[in-house]
Amino acid sequence: MTNAATDVDYQAFFDIARKHKVIFYYVGYFSQNIIAAMSDAVRLQLTASGIDGVKRRKLFSSFVEMAQNIIHYSSDSLTAESQDNNQLRHGSVCISLVDGQYRLMCSNPVDNSRVDHLRETLEPLRHMTLEEIKHAYKETLRAETPEHSKGAGLGFLTMARDASAPLEYSFLPIGADSGSAMFFLTAII
Amino acid sequence: MQNLLFAATPTSPEVNFDFERHTLSLRGESYPENAAMFYGEVIARLREYLGACTSASVTVNVALTYFNSSSTKMLFSMFDALNEAAQNGNRIVLNWFHDVDDETMLEFGQELHADFDAFEFVSHATTNG
Repeated sequence: MTNAATDVDYQAFFDIARKHKVIFYYVGYFSQNIIAAMSDAVRLQLTASGIDGVKRRKLFSSFVEMAQNIIHYSSDSLTAESQDNNQLRHGSVCISLVDGQYRLMCSNPVDNSRVDHLRETLEPLRHMTLEEIKHAYKETLRAETPEHSKGAGLGFLTMARDASAPLEYSFLPIGADSGSAMFFLTAII
Repeated sequence: MQNLLFAATPTSPEVNFDFERHTLSLRGESYPENAAMFYGEVIARLREYLGACTSASVTVNVALTYFNSSSTKMLFSMFDALNEAAQNGNRIVLNWFHDVDDETMLEFGQELHADFDAFEFVSHATTNG
């Protein structure tokens, strides 16, 4: 027996995804194994689409940075904050085609206390030229790793360097008492 | 000194440090969940080995198809250790393998070259994707 209502809902979801040329979407918990599997899927899609090697590498690089940001920083976690490996944290990633460009998006909840810091890190990148971004990248590469950073402070710079337009970000309140905001980040490659 | 051998995983490279033969190789992809943890041991063993080298001739082969931002940072400190050893009188050759159309790898290689001039840097452009 078919359930007509479910079919209609799924059809609607499917149509929206097709209309927006979504080529990859995942929402749920992220683990390192899940990232490895998603990376396989994304690589396969990009290779099959015939996109040139330079763009493919940039897309893949930004995709991995986004996915690993979720695993490192999402405030919705099934694992202890102090655990430094094998983490499970919640978020979403999406790749779609917009006017012939690839749009990478990701989202994850962050504690309200981190919002200002993220803004202060991301906003200056939006106003830098590619040369300035590369320069900042080089300086950060040689600097000490910032405290509280599990990457190297290089993740956003890597995305900004690979993107063809300034990174876009936003924060949406989640609920009055949650203490968190939903962080959205977009890179056009 | 015991050799260091880690098999590759989908997100971490093969590490084959054959200290006896003075040949150190990294091959594969590098985006482990915690790059500081993964490379921590690699760099510690490398420093231990280099500390004991005098007038040695060391070959380092790096063939990484992709590394994420946190691995980049760790690779940089690895090359820093190699540079120090070269300044201390060892001959160190770094073979840097990168895909011919991979700008990012090429630029990173040039960065290394600019920062670390004590070792010999040999760039190899490859075409197998």
